[in-house]
Amino acid sequence: MDLVLQLLFTGIGIGAVYALVALGFVLIFRATNVVNFAQGEFSMVAAYLMVVCAVDLELPYWLSFIIALAGMAIIGVIFNLGVYYPLRHRTYLPVIIATIGASILMANGVLALYGPQPQVLPGWFDTPGIQLGPVYLDSQYLLIIVVTIALVIFNYWFFEHTMIGKKLQATSQDKEMASLLGISVSTMIMVTFIYSAVLGGLAGLLVAPILFVSIQMGSTIALKAFAATIIGGFGDVTGAIIGGLALGIIETFGAAYISVPYKDGFAFLVLVLFLVFRPQGIFGERVAEKA
Amino acid sequence: MSTSSDNIPAVVITRPKPLLLRHAPYFIGAAIVVFLAASMQFDGYILNILMQATTFAIAVFGLSVVLGLCGQINLAQAAFFGFGAYAVGIGTTDYQLSYWLCLVAGCVMALIAGAVLGLSTLRLGGHYLAMVTISFQQIVTLVMINAIWLTKGPDGVSKIGRPSLFLSSQSYLAFCVAMLALVGYIVWHLPETRLGRAMRAVRDNELAAGVNGIDVFRTKVYAFAISAVLGGLGGGLFAGGFAYISPDQFSFAESIVFLTMSLLGGVASPIGSAIGTGLLILIPEWLRFLKSVPGLYLAIYGLSVILIIRFMPDGIWGFVTAAYDRMRSSKKVAVTSAPLQLRPAATGGDMVLEVTGLSKHFGGLKAVDQVDISVRRGGVHALIGPNGSGKTTTLNVLSGLYNATSGKVVLDGTDVTTMPPHLRAAAGLGRTFQNIRLFRSMTALENVIIGAERPGNTLTGKGDEAALTERALAALTFVGLGPRAMELISSFSYGHQRLIEIARALAANPTLLLLDEPAAGLNSTEKLELHELLKRIAAQGLTILIIDHDMTLVSEAAQHITVLNFGRRIADGESMAVLRHPDVVSAYLGTD
Amino acid sequence: MTLTRRGFTAGIAAGLAAPYIIGSARAQGGGTIKIGMCAPITGPAAEAGKYATGGAKLAVEAINKAGGILGKQIELIIEDDQTTNPGIVLAFSKLAANPDIVGFLGSIRSTQVHAMAPDVLKLGKPVMFGGTDPNLTKLGNPWLFRFRPNDSYSGRVIAEYGVKNLDKKKWAVLHSTDAFGTAGGKALTEALGPLGATVALDQGYANQSQDFTPVVLAIKQSGADILGSYFTFENDLGIFARQLRQLGVNIPWVGSPSIVNVTALKLAGPALYGTYGVADYAEDSSEASKAFGKAYRDAYKVAPDNQSSWPYDAINVLATAIKNAGSTDPQKIREAILTVKKYPGAEGEYNFDKNGDGLHGYNIVKNEKGNIVFDKHIEFDN
Repeated sequence: MDLVLQLLFTGIGIGAVYALVALGFVLIFRATNVVNFAQGEFSMVAAYLMVVCAVDLELPYWLSFIIALAGMAIIGVIFNLGVYYPLRHRTYLPVIIATIGASILMANGVLALYGPQPQVLPGWFDTPGIQLGPVYLDSQYLLIIVVTIALVIFNYWFFEHTMIGKKLQATSQDKEMASLLGISVSTMIMVTFIYSAVLGGLAGLLVAPILFVSIQMGSTIALKAFAATIIGGFGDVTGAIIGGLALGIIETFGAAYISVPYKDGFAFLVLVLFLVFRPQGIFGERVAEKA
Repeated sequence: MSTSSDNIPAVVITRPKPLLLRHAPYFIGAAIVVFLAASMQFDGYILNILMQATTFAIAVFGLSVVLGLCGQINLAQAAFFGFGAYAVGIGTTDYQLSYWLCLVAGCVMALIAGAVLGLSTLRLGGHYLAMVTISFQQIVTLVMINAIWLTKGPDGVSKIGRPSLFLSSQSYLAFCVAMLALVGYIVWHLPETRLGRAMRAVRDNELAAGVNGIDVFRTKVYAFAISAVLGGLGGGLFAGGFAYISPDQFSFAESIVFLTMSLLGGVASPIGSAIGTGLLILIPEWLRFLKSVPGLYLAIYGLSVILIIRFMPDGIWGFVTAAYDRMRSSKKVAVTSAPLQLRPAATGGDMVLEVTGLSKHFGGLKAVDQVDISVRRGGVHALIGPNGSGKTTTLNVLSGLYNATSGKVVLDGTDVTTMPPHLRAAAGLGRTFQNIRLFRSMTALENVIIGAERPGNTLTGKGDEAALTERALAALTFVGLGPRAMELISSFSYGHQRLIEIARALAANPTLLLLDEPAAGLNSTEKLELHELLKRIAAQGLTILIIDHDMTLVSEAAQHITVLNFGRRIADGESMAVLRHPDVVSAYLGTD
Repeated sequence: MTLTRRGFTAGIAAGLAAPYIIGSARAQGGGTIKIGMCAPITGPAAEAGKYATGGAKLAVEAINKAGGILGKQIELIIEDDQTTNPGIVLAFSKLAANPDIVGFLGSIRSTQVHAMAPDVLKLGKPVMFGGTDPNLTKLGNPWLFRFRPNDSYSGRVIAEYGVKNLDKKKWAVLHSTDAFGTAGGKALTEALGPLGATVALDQGYANQSQDFTPVVLAIKQSGADILGSYFTFENDLGIFARQLRQLGVNIPWVGSPSIVNVTALKLAGPALYGTYGVADYAEDSSEASKAFGKAYRDAYKVAPDNQSSWPYDAINVLATAIKNAGSTDPQKIREAILTVKKYPGAEGEYNFDKNGDGLHGYNIVKNEKGNIVFDKHIEFDN
């Protein structure tokens, strides 16, 4: 039982990381119908920005945090203008490939600027964790779980109760209708990219103290997060969160009870099973194209 | 060039010489290259580069089929490459099997894996396909690393054998180049075959492909399987060439490399694929001395991917051919061909179409509700109703794009209620779309040939290329566009595109033709021409079910009218009587 | 198609010309003895590549300052292996195409050495390498020379130290599932049996795992009283070490060389205090090691590790062999390397056996609050 509880905590912690990144995927997908293969690199770039500020320049932790997220907002703008916007009238395929190119560019750009050695980023808290009965709770994982819950609430409030959130909703559902209503679709898409880059960055900043800061940190997480998005039902915010958590738990228990080396395989196996037997995901509704 | 064409009746398409003769220059060229590969003295480095380029190019040809021709993404080409490589690697070492046997086995394994993967997921398409292929890639990599009993794990397989005929590296390279030339020929020729045309149609417009009798799903599976086989073949040759393989050579990163190779050169053509492969193997070699800053080179690589997609969407070869096409003025051709024959099949009774109790519900919305329609053979039947009355939904249910919630559709005696679009087309149903759905990357002629290729069309003689072309030209001439047959769709006006779509449907010699608002978006002259065209079609005895708003067109052309409002049938009968029906008048004019 | 092929061949010719021009510009100033080196300048091991080329250059400079060999200066030609197998095959074939190169430095990664081995055999010139997969020198390839002790020794040293010095008999063995980890884990479990110890848990993991909780819990449940490990990547090691301590596992831990590597120490910090590692390079293990450590620190301002010590030794031994052979004939160099005995290198004392293995033992070092302290050297005769 102790074992199960410990695994459950870890699974939820890892799952929350997937969920955070998955959220960024879903937002961009809903707004633009595009899967952003560079979403994981947002996390990595933010983590390096944070290392530069907090470790190299020795700025206060909170200030570095804000600078890193602000930096991500700018990267969101550049990403939209450089990668998505010029291709917005083309099919999904060129856009997917352009985001793959952007992912290679970001990963290796950082490598060129900062070198290949992994970096250490201290966590928010001085205490590494607390022992709760038989279960050890890592403080950084606790923080990630809390932030994920907070973000779910924030997203609900943002999309349902703010004007800009409602405009974003309208844009993602029907671009033509939205522009007829006087909503600037291109501004809304810009906002989406900024928000999504910041979210991805936030995930990176939270997970960096656990996984260290390395060039590869984003891509592995992003693939899992992507799987989580599909399991949850593409385009559904709640689905992405549930999918992320489910994946984290499946993976952790799979590793503990079935096989450690094949751990990464479970995520993809579950994904393929979902795609074959329930392609609409847990929460999703439509898969088929409109006629 | 075009001035003289009016009085000189040029023969459009000459009887093609036998293919092998027409393509003789290709084979002579290929033979020279193979000879050079076999006889030129290369040092080890160039030999390795050429070996890599040749075997990779075969795998990239696979991508040009699935991605370029059929428009489906495959992010697992390295995994299929690995299937071939490991079959040859393990087979020739652990089991001491013949190289040829292993190579074939590798291709078969890749084929099966590709077909199964395609069968299970190609209905989804798009992003899902991207994700499934990535997952497949990851799982294959994990198995290669961890199933040590089979794959020797991360150590890899070494001392891989070659066929005794090609033991020296030089002769083996020549063999690989010969294979490349052969595969290149097949891939080059594929777009002009029936399957290749079907793939292009699926890429350009899946819905239109379906209603023109193409089995969209099966076509995608074929494309995916061909791509996988070529991946396996390339991999098998690669294993023999380098004598050592290990899992990291078949990772996701390599799949991305394959993808970039095909994009860079131009995904639509094997020549482009070959250029892309060559460049992406050579560029890293050229730029090696630039690599003193780690990551810089790959960062530039990523940036160029974005720039290529942005500024050269059709790749280098696409860019070159487009420039070449611009310099050449478009061919204008005069046509001498037999008049279009329409001989609709007649196996059923007096009624060509019998629809009973047809309903289509979207959630709570009853878009079509208990509708009955009977279309008499040889007549023009109109389906009218105000906006949102369910006309187009009815048409979509009739042609199989939507599944009926309930009801029954009988076409010429055959119950087609549950059939997918391509089978209804085979059963004799043709249609056009309100928002024109043509295959935009093809010429007018190719579009209409796809129509003529409808399974069950009895008017295409032996069904060979010449007969199909003749039928398609006749159809185009029938709508007045014969001389422009060789032009791309994009060069036609909106009204002419509408005519091409009708010609495509006519070439199929359907039993029943569904026309979805054919007059929408036409100017008054074009409407008159359309009206004349409909009369000429009806005169040949073809049965037509037409939807339109244009009351003049409907009242003059149709003998029989069915009126829908809010998804229900509110009137049905002889034209003039229906149009005077009070419910119809109020539905159109409002009640108060 | 024909056109493409032709253009392609022309392209290759141009591609080849460029680096050669640069090479010849560098070589101006008389005859030099050229040594080729494949190193990861790009890719995941790019950081290690800096250490490797640093070590090799250090040796080259020292030899050249002392007057070179056979009256000629040594010239080092480095090619990027991109940290991949196809990369090193290309890099090596490019170097091999230069007939002036007399000897080569291969890779520290075993799979890469496997990948290039067929080409090495074909070329027939000596290649020094640092990969520790025991099989590499059993391939019957006479041109491969190893400058680090192979993993059968590291496994035996870990086992012997754990059983005899730490007196622990119930082992948990944890290893990466890549070539290095699998071979190491196997060597360790095989060495434990004859010493009368038992393996309570033999666990593989995939590289770049983000979480080791299931592994740590498995170790806890196995009841093992000592842990032996083969980690490939430092970030995996760092994550595992922290989770191990967090979940309260404090049994002794003897790890493969990565446990004492500079990056691992930085990432894992206190989680690695008190652990033992086998190290082919330990600065305090001998006079030669100390001298190398000082020279490297003077040149690059950072402490060296095994990534830089083996290329340093490889260049020195190769130079010595050429000097002893009095010729750059490959066969003579090969024979001269095989007769190298009791050569004091930075890694240890080289005594080449007939397989081409130069070293036959390991140092055991201890992590004392972040400082790596030399503990003892364990040497085997066979």
